[in-house]
Amino acid sequence: MMEEDEIVDGGDLGADGAVGDNSNAMDELTETMKKVNVNGVPYEPLADGEYDAIVLGTGLTECVISGILSVAGLKVLHADKNEYYGGQSASVSLEQLFDKFKESKVELPKDVYGSSRDYNIDLIPKFIIGNGDLVRLLLHCDVAKYLEFRVVEGSFVYSGSRPHKVPVTAREAMTSGLLGLWEKNRCRQFFSYVNGYNPDDPEAHEKKDLKKMTMRELFKYYALQAETIEFVGHALALYTDDTYLDKPAEVTVKKIQLYANSLLRFTKSPYLYPLYGLGELPQAFARLSAVHGGTFMLNTPIDEILYNGSEQAIGIKSDGKVATCKYIVAAPEYFREKSMPVAKVVRCYCILAEPPPHTRESGSCQIVIPAAQAKRQTDIYVLVLSADHKVTPGGRYVALVSTTVETDNPAVEIQFGLNLLGHIIDKVVTVDDVLAPRSSGNDDKVFLSRGYDATTHFQTTSADVFDLYKRIFGQNLEIQTKNASTEE
Amino acid sequence: MPERTKLLKVIILGESGVGKTSILERYVRHSFSQQYKATIGADFLSMDVIIDDKPVPLQIWDTAGQERYQSLGAAFYRGADGVLLVYDVTDARSFEGLDAWRQEFIVSANPRDPDTFPFVVLGNKIDLISRPRAVSQKKAQQWCLQKGGLTHFETSAADNINIDLAFETVARSAVKRGEEEEEFILPETVEINRKPAEEQCNC
Repeated sequence: MMEEDEIVDGGDLGADGAVGDNSNAMDELTETMKKVNVNGVPYEPLADGEYDAIVLGTGLTECVISGILSVAGLKVLHADKNEYYGGQSASVSLEQLFDKFKESKVELPKDVYGSSRDYNIDLIPKFIIGNGDLVRLLLHCDVAKYLEFRVVEGSFVYSGSRPHKVPVTAREAMTSGLLGLWEKNRCRQFFSYVNGYNPDDPEAHEKKDLKKMTMRELFKYYALQAETIEFVGHALALYTDDTYLDKPAEVTVKKIQLYANSLLRFTKSPYLYPLYGLGELPQAFARLSAVHGGTFMLNTPIDEILYNGSEQAIGIKSDGKVATCKYIVAAPEYFREKSMPVAKVVRCYCILAEPPPHTRESGSCQIVIPAAQAKRQTDIYVLVLSADHKVTPGGRYVALVSTTVETDNPAVEIQFGLNLLGHIIDKVVTVDDVLAPRSSGNDDKVFLSRGYDATTHFQTTSADVFDLYKRIFGQNLEIQTKNASTEE
Repeated sequence: MPERTKLLKVIILGESGVGKTSILERYVRHSFSQQYKATIGADFLSMDVIIDDKPVPLQIWDTAGQERYQSLGAAFYRGADGVLLVYDVTDARSFEGLDAWRQEFIVSANPRDPDTFPFVVLGNKIDLISRPRAVSQKKAQQWCLQKGGLTHFETSAADNINIDLAFETVARSAVKRGEEEEEFILPETVEINRKPAEEQCNC
């Protein structure tokens, strides 16, 4: 296979001086050698024709897997039907956003919006937890060098009638309007216990078995009030609903520790966000894949998936050309018949001229509206970003309000979040199915990722990467976290 | 005025096979390989260039082969301070492609004031005598003039002709452009692999 490639490349270049009288014969020979055979039918090759793996869709999950496959030495063809990277998780300009979601074409006067191209608006709004699994993946794959991150300034939780800053220091906790004085004391004891908890050291458990004890029981032990529980569960442990309360407490305690460790690492806030938007993330992993030999083809509609006699995927056809593979990894939207909707998410993209009230003029922040505050089953999230992260022109802000759909009227469900934003210059709403694969992919050799849920962090996306890896290779992805001192 | 310490990002653009990786290898590693291999494994290389007796750190990005099917993506172009636009003097098609690469860069990188952005145009492979020349120096210079007076060099990565000069020129223009934008403040970014605050103090 390698020799064949070299002949083809040499032919293209003509660098070896072989172009002469016998060029026709050479051309014919190369032509026959170049054909790709599938089920006995010869096709024109798509790119190099033969690959170990074909990846369809350039969302974050697919790009991470593509990078990992290429680094492992596999020959990867990575295609996307769109002319841009990111698929469902792309970042787009204001014009692209409105073209995508508004019914008619909108004029975008510069004095109102600023330059459309200065916007990089995430289709799927999320923040990165500083000490979370995505950071581990970024370091493991050594792609952080392609990206620049900035800390998200503020984290707020809605309580009573307005957003309150989530306290990040003991001093802030003591002065926060979020908690009463006695409650602050109880909180301190609770956090002291949580910080000291170590699953491997029963001494630190204070005779509580968190593998059995539920989180509700642990909260009760420290006599925490409902508002505090809401804040701990939703703004620190980042649960989207309250089902965690009746599950073993250890999981939640670990989540609170993750928040605290992330905070310790970046001091101001536990969240990070890349300059120019989340769409940079899949591109960083795509570059990793390309650097290790992966072939990339944007703007490549897939006409047909080719299967062998056992209904296993063995290739793709695009524009009449064929590439073969041992298996396909894809975003679920490439295989609607092999995926199913598991939830609906409503997202509203808003353009503001000022940061939302009560967010202390933050250039970037998160506001969590716990489900109970809005009398709902699941939380509403508001993410605010600005030119600080190079996702808007100066003097403009984007607020992204999202939640899991619970009723037949999703636009009304996010109103609670919109009410916190102050004056909205313009907005657009969209409702998307969250798709999940119907099967593991082992039988048909089509390994599908999951769609992106309403959570505002990447923990579930990272979990999908680990799951996808395990389905493909039958073993866990071992993450080696690089030490800071081992930089090249 | 404070010393400029910012890393300059320079990217090399052009059709597949014009010698982008060879130019980079020649400049940074002082080496050249006759064997053509579509780019695999080339990422970015760092090198200090001396401008007016001061070292300026350059980070030079190769395309990693993603240009083959026009699949570079905005992130590659983003934040570039200078661009080397490369064509092959024996391949007219590669010269005709320059306009599209320049446009693609301007749209994707969205640089302020694209008309004065530091593009340096390189006609590579002038050492090749086995193939006839397809792009005359005059034709290339005319195009550069039309595009607002872009600097043009004919180069050879194989024979090391004008390679250092090309990088020095693009770096010099990028430095000059940077100095004219004094009021532009870079956002304060963080290292994501930094250790927790406590540990750092104990080091």
